[in-house]
Amino acid sequence: MTRCLSDLELESVLRDPERGAAHAFSCPRCGERLAELRRLGEEFERWVLPATVEAVAAGAARPARFRFGPWLAPLAAAAVAAGVALIRAGGPPADYLGTKGPALDLVAYSRGADGAQALADGASVPSGAGLRFRVRPARACQLWIVSADAGGQVSRIYPSSGADGADLRGGESVAIPGGATLDGRPGPERFFAACRAGAPLSLEEVERAARAIGPGEERVRATRSLPGLPQGVAQATLLVEKRP
Amino acid sequence: MNGPIGDRGREEVVRLYREFGPAVYRRCMRLLRDREAARDATQEVFVKLLRDGSLLGEGEQALRWIYRVATYHCLNVRRDRLRRERRLERVAGEAETAAPAASAPGERHLAEQLLSQFDPVTQAVALGMLVDGMEGDELAGALGISRRTVHRKLSRFLKIARRLTREEP
Repeated sequence: MTRCLSDLELESVLRDPERGAAHAFSCPRCGERLAELRRLGEEFERWVLPATVEAVAAGAARPARFRFGPWLAPLAAAAVAAGVALIRAGGPPADYLGTKGPALDLVAYSRGADGAQALADGASVPSGAGLRFRVRPARACQLWIVSADAGGQVSRIYPSSGADGADLRGGESVAIPGGATLDGRPGPERFFAACRAGAPLSLEEVERAARAIGPGEERVRATRSLPGLPQGVAQATLLVEKRP
Repeated sequence: MNGPIGDRGREEVVRLYREFGPAVYRRCMRLLRDREAARDATQEVFVKLLRDGSLLGEGEQALRWIYRVATYHCLNVRRDRLRRERRLERVAGEAETAAPAASAPGERHLAEQLLSQFDPVTQAVALGMLVDGMEGDELAGALGISRRTVHRKLSRFLKIARRLTREEP
């Protein structure tokens, strides 16, 4: 074999090193890719498996949702032709209240050489970078923004003073005054925006929820919502990876 | 426990996850290039594979199923992510702090947008042939389509992609 191995073939090599091994171990490109695949395998074992194995076991135990088999296709076509609606199994619960779009948007910006850049979730930024935020709630609500880092440190971001959250109007995009300057310590830091409609939300509740995440890089990366907040609190989150 | 793995129980699920999970994660990382997204996708793809009974065959067959299910799942995730990014760009466009350069798409974004113009099978064919370096037969087997379909989809992709990229300023 002279051409480089595809990822699928390299997967076979990982399972059975005799297969395609001559090429994989003599070709620098395939060797590098093989090493990368091995590294990802270790990452799975160390990081993905512990975090997801319970959910996978639970998911496998749940009954599969209704699916169309090939034998159902003619039946479906006939039903559609006859104007009969097919009802999808496994719909939302009775108390489900549908809304269009997300309940809360949170966007962070970092100023780089090319000006302010909107950050993707998990973006890498200098550990001392200054960030600005913009939020847009779907409904009028009272907003808090806090952050949690790998040391278990919870920081109040906005409002930076006072006992009440900031009142926001529904559907309005608001630039948050002030922003935040990162603390210079490398590692993940996650920002949480929590906005409650129709009832006040205290800083204490929000900070307590953020402290519950606890210390640990993987906890910060994996926790995508503040646990234990009252029902109806809209949340949005964004992770940044602070680099030295 | 219901579904094709039925009575194998939790221990069997964990054994299968340990054996095949890395291949799912690697495929998801290849397509999503984001650890958290790949981790979430791995979990979802694996549950699908377990329910379909796709991991009960021989290793090679299971790998082809993994490739197929993970590829289509991750292409859906990418499509949803692109839509979300477009929405965020609209929000970002309103920000006083954002410079015009912030909304300029990078090359990767351009590639994402280009791919999103095509149906999932064409996307999977383009990625398999052009990114993963697969042969037509191998890709056809992995995706469960004919070799002729692979070549037809690839030709169409290349023709339209050339036209679209020529139109870019």
